Amino acid sequence: MRTVRTYALSAWIAVIGLLLMGEAALASPAGTALQSIEPSTISLGAAAQLTITSIGSEMPAITPPMVPGLEFIAVGQSQQVQIINGVTSSRTTVTYQVIPQQAGVFSIPSALPGAEPVVLTVNRGTGSAPGGQAAPGGTAQGAQTQPSSSLPADTTRQGASGAAFVRLRLSKHELYVGEMVPVDIQVGARDGMVASLNGPPTLNGDAFTLSKLPENPTRTEEVVDGKPFIVFTWHTALVAVKPGTLSLTMDTPLTVRVTTPGRPGGGFFGGSGFEDLFNDPAFQNFFGTSTQRDVTVSSAPETFTVLPLPDEGRPADFSGAVGKFAISADLSQDKAGEGDPVTLRMRVTGEGDFDRVSSSMLHDADGWKTYTPTVNFKPEDEIGYRGEKLFEQPLISLQPGTREVPEVHFSWFDPATRRYEQAHTEPLSVAITPAPAGGPLTSGPVSASSGAASNPAGTQAGQPWRPDHPDDGSGRTGTLTPHFFQPAYLALPPLVLIALSTAWFWLRREEHQTRAVRVEPFMLPSVESLGTEMDQHAAAGDVQSFFGAARRALCAALASKWGLTLPEVTTEEVVSRLGADNEIARTLLLADEAAYSNLKLTPLDFRQCKRIVLRNLDAVGTP
Amino acid sequence: MRITRLLGSLAALLLLAGYGADLRAQTAAPAVSPPAGGYSAAQLYNSANASARSGNTALAVLGYERARVLAPTDADLRWNLHRVRESAGLPASTGWFEEYGRFANPNTLYWIGVAGLVLGGVCVLALRFKAGHRGALLAGAVLGLAAVAASAFNAAATSIVLSESIAVRQAPASASPVAGADALFQVPAAAAVRVIDRHAGFELIRDSQGREGWVAATDLAAVIPDT
Repeated sequence: MRTVRTYALSAWIAVIGLLLMGEAALASPAGTALQSIEPSTISLGAAAQLTITSIGSEMPAITPPMVPGLEFIAVGQSQQVQIINGVTSSRTTVTYQVIPQQAGVFSIPSALPGAEPVVLTVNRGTGSAPGGQAAPGGTAQGAQTQPSSSLPADTTRQGASGAAFVRLRLSKHELYVGEMVPVDIQVGARDGMVASLNGPPTLNGDAFTLSKLPENPTRTEEVVDGKPFIVFTWHTALVAVKPGTLSLTMDTPLTVRVTTPGRPGGGFFGGSGFEDLFNDPAFQNFFGTSTQRDVTVSSAPETFTVLPLPDEGRPADFSGAVGKFAISADLSQDKAGEGDPVTLRMRVTGEGDFDRVSSSMLHDADGWKTYTPTVNFKPEDEIGYRGEKLFEQPLISLQPGTREVPEVHFSWFDPATRRYEQAHTEPLSVAITPAPAGGPLTSGPVSASSGAASNPAGTQAGQPWRPDHPDDGSGRTGTLTPHFFQPAYLALPPLVLIALSTAWFWLRREEHQTRAVRVEPFMLPSVESLGTEMDQHAAAGDVQSFFGAARRALCAALASKWGLTLPEVTTEEVVSRLGADNEIARTLLLADEAAYSNLKLTPLDFRQCKRIVLRNLDAVGTP
Repeated sequence: MRITRLLGSLAALLLLAGYGADLRAQTAAPAVSPPAGGYSAAQLYNSANASARSGNTALAVLGYERARVLAPTDADLRWNLHRVRESAGLPASTGWFEEYGRFANPNTLYWIGVAGLVLGGVCVLALRFKAGHRGALLAGAVLGLAAVAASAFNAAATSIVLSESIAVRQAPASASPVAGADALFQVPAAAAVRVIDRHAGFELIRDSQGREGWVAATDLAAVIPDT
């Protein structure tokens, strides 16, 4: 079967080659020839991939080398042809699977003029070498002919029916929280079967963060499991954000061409070598027997051991930097006028996650006014793993003379040594010359420690500029936006208003209920009966009883109106609410006087008082 | 009925504050991180002084204006801002409303306003539903409402700053928000402008003379950065 398949494949390649290039395919190559074997050391029973590449204006005729003890099986050929300004340039790659028949060191001669011979070492043993492809019938996968990364290869798990794969290449699987690890993310797409990549690879899970992926991944060709793939590689970096044994996979969305399944058994060409020929992607694309489908291909899970940063030996100024760093410092100038700023520059260089590299530099340096430093990072590679972070802090000397800028400290955790490292710069000197009188912002001594720097308005009349204020760190706020315009604070006044409104309606409801209950017990006679009673007392000349009846009626009416109990309606309450000049208040005062004195009234007085009482009773509302 | 009118007035004040917040949201600049430890008036003022010393007038004005949000009555700050504006040939004084409306720290006045709202509301309730202490309750209600009014006045005056930006360098103001458009006028460095709208990296501004034009957002810095 293998022989038939090989013949069919060779025939197909020859037909396409003749159609495209005609007799040019038989011409001698004129250009660069490359030859490589991967891996160069395998065990007996495993296989290696020999890749022969020709770059030139013509397609060469490549024949497999003949080496005793080695079997060469052609597994694929690809060709790229470019015509620029009428000049044809082609790149032809032929891949052979090399199967050793015996152990030893084999020199494989060049298959093309100009190519270097390669050496294959075959050890005795039953297992396959790391990264090696299993011999026919074996189980290992993942051989590559053109390594696009210096990082070790991991398992290649093909998805979308073998049309594509996603894999990670990392240098280590044990790392610390916050440690940055370079990683290559590779997406392999089988030419002709993958219509398009629909986006960059994405990370699954929240245990890691990924640096920004470059927009243009590198592109190489590779044979995996005997099939040619175009491999896109993104060089980036991974950072673990939490400790534990964590698993990581990457997803890539792409569109694949799905072939229409043929009849089982193969129809007319069933069981023959032509079945392979017609199942070839190029053949199917040409004759339109495939459809497109969007799929997501995932990488094989990678397991990491993420260690927490140790508490032991952690410096007080440790800001979370993990990696390998060095620091240096200098001053922007060695001379400055009094009150003029001098910039202290600290450079942190090395490798690691520079996002975690931070420093507040100098704080409360004696004799220096310090400001918040600015930060600038210059990466030395495309992923920001190596670079230099520059901290620049303006300083102002509070005294003239030769001043010394104190040393600056920086600490980090080094995963290689597994311990915290500390570094400090050397003290720097600067000459501060006294400022001329009346210079801008320098008038008057500024003493941050004495607190006398604050200059109240008018105390230094004629001073052109007002000096700095001492900043003790108090009264700091996270945002300059006033509370009025922050949604959380804006909600508070409406809540207060709602609470007040609720209280208003609740109290009003309570008042109504209480009034209904309170009025009922002291229902008094009507106006007519009250008038009759008062007339009887007047006829008898009983002033106390006359006013007593009047008081009871008026108080009952007022108690009902005000929502009070009858004992609560005292003369003082009535006077405070209605005023002393009010007729009701005066009537009650007269009633009090009558109760405790020998008051005498004429019949005319009785009639007038009765009229007043009844009129006010009617005005207040008869109970 | 009276309490209804009172609540209506308070709602109007809140709507005024809400309008300010909405204006702020409409003209919000891209978010920036506050400095480590947050802002303080002294730190902003001292940074502005440092910028003034180094001759960067625009950054100095920006720093002073930001410090003024937290300490609007600081005499040193107002003096140096006045001087640096004067040295840059810019109008040294602002409008009457902004000058006198910002008479205290807005955050302090916010809490005074809330406390006044509670005090006034409780006193009005007590006046209506409880007997006695009418004089004290009346005084409390008046005091509370005065606090609310002062707070609202300050909020209205401060709201002007929400849309204010400082030109960090001299910048052309164009008729349309596209690169290379003809300049209508030049916005001098350190000038305070009001941002009315934003579009595709440009901001529609109105200067102190009432002129309007589109300026590249990178040439402006908001007095109150959006965090």
